Amino acid sequence: MNKTILAAATAALFALPLAARADDAALAARIEQLAAELEKLKAELQATKAAQAAAPAAVPAPAPVAAEPQGPATVLTGYGEINYNRPVHNSAGAQADARRVVLGFEHRFDPKTKVVAEFEWEHAVTSADDAGEAAVEQAYVEREFGHGIRAKAGLFLMPTGLLNTSHEPTAYYGVERNFVETAIIPTTWREAGFGLSGETEDGLTWDAGITTGFDLSKWDATSEEGRESPLGAIHQEGQLAKSRDLSVHGALNWRGVPGLLVGGSVFTGKAAHGTDNFPAQDARVTLWDMHARWTPGAWDLAALYARGSIGGIGDLNLTLAGNPTPVPSAFYGWYVQGAYHLPRSGDYALTPFARYERFNTAARYSAFPAGLEPQAGVLQNVSTVGANLRIGEGVVLKADYQKFGQDKNLDRLNLGAGFAF
Amino acid sequence: MRAPVCLTLLAAAPASAFATDYLTADQAQRLMFPDATSFRAQDLALDSAQMKQVEQLAALPARSVHWHVIAAYKADALLGWMVLDNVVGKFELISYAVGLNLDASIKQVEVLSYRESHGGEVRNPAWRRQFVGKRAPAGLSVGDGIANISGATLSCTHLTDGVRRIAAIAQVALKK
Repeated sequence: MNKTILAAATAALFALPLAARADDAALAARIEQLAAELEKLKAELQATKAAQAAAPAAVPAPAPVAAEPQGPATVLTGYGEINYNRPVHNSAGAQADARRVVLGFEHRFDPKTKVVAEFEWEHAVTSADDAGEAAVEQAYVEREFGHGIRAKAGLFLMPTGLLNTSHEPTAYYGVERNFVETAIIPTTWREAGFGLSGETEDGLTWDAGITTGFDLSKWDATSEEGRESPLGAIHQEGQLAKSRDLSVHGALNWRGVPGLLVGGSVFTGKAAHGTDNFPAQDARVTLWDMHARWTPGAWDLAALYARGSIGGIGDLNLTLAGNPTPVPSAFYGWYVQGAYHLPRSGDYALTPFARYERFNTAARYSAFPAGLEPQAGVLQNVSTVGANLRIGEGVVLKADYQKFGQDKNLDRLNLGAGFAF
Repeated sequence: MRAPVCLTLLAAAPASAFATDYLTADQAQRLMFPDATSFRAQDLALDSAQMKQVEQLAALPARSVHWHVIAAYKADALLGWMVLDNVVGKFELISYAVGLNLDASIKQVEVLSYRESHGGEVRNPAWRRQFVGKRAPAGLSVGDGIANISGATLSCTHLTDGVRRIAAIAQVALKK
């Protein structure tokens, strides 16, 4: 029996409820406490054995139960960012905003099955009179099938670009997310459906899935929203999503050389869903991207190109002629970014960075009668220079300056505080 | 011999319960020391002076007094050791093993179990090869000798820290 106790105690030692990213000091204290208990049990075992040696042994010790290390079944997660933007030529436009605070959990039902959920509040206050927004950012169940193959079902993030699946403020440079991965790729972009993922030993990760897609009948040609982000204006986010037409996606990412990531993704699907009296029943939305990230030594270099198209919209745009925001047939953007990790000083790590991006949310309009073509959008460029200051692992302070090539009135200074756990 | 009995049981814990298990400890030790004729679990208990040395060398908390060490022998000749450990990746535990040569240099790193949805690229052999031949602490930090894995920063940082800690323990308490 004592062997069982000893094995159980040892098992307990390895089954420590390791809180997510628990700090090592607390963990060490806990382990030390269990180690002390283990020592005590050992002493008791020795005493018992000595006693047993004096008496004839009758029953063999039962086979000890094998121990398996495992973390807690349920882990609380979260991230948030509070930002300050100050247009340098228009101080009256300065604004501070609790941009987003997200709480989530991951719960493991068994070693192969788990649920992941994230709940987001944007702009601090959500009510009929306020600008805030509350949303389910992710809610999916995942089952593992061995050798890295996983299936998930529910509302999950599209494996597109560098930012969409890794969008916590501690994961990217700059106070605000880059323009290409907000205006062209509508980060944080999620769809409801079914997905498969896997990875090979030589560093290739693949994703494939069938999900909901965009709803083009939501396009509001009188609003500027579609010009800010064509797909952001028609995404459905799992909210009573029209689903007659499903979309498919696939992504490949290769990390076969340490420090290098090269990847790409494609998403395509019809976007009319048989909506009554909608003049573009064959409309199709396609978005693809290619990206690379290279981290030689202290450098962190990244580049991304993303391009979207909305096809089959001729008849729709005819009805929208004259409105400020018809449906573009093409939109695209790219950026290059370089960052350098200065030597750490204790818990502090400063990383200056620079990013240059170009994007056009309405690169082309098609199928307008001669003379009625709207003017294509402007190819915008934005340069960002700044630094992230990491404090430990979960906190980041950010400062940067953004220069807008087309409208210097937008030039701004940004400050931000973010966290993730 | 009581403690080694328990350690052996841990080392031989069946892996089949985890779909994300890639290797058992038993398979890992044979992979790391193919010439070994026997493996003996040993209870490595660090004293407080050793823990301080490990902390200085690795620039990390030593975390634990007791470590699961399996010594590999060819007949009576000691070939090296394998140390088993777990670190938290982003949310979940990564189980891994570090093979060590007699001079405390790293022979091999193997990931036994990986449970996160993302970041499984730490299994990539090319990434794990970066550790081979190194001794604590030189070149055993992400960004300094070990390249980051984009999209798996936390997993690769925590695993790298864990390997550096074990390499330091090997220098302080195992090296011949």
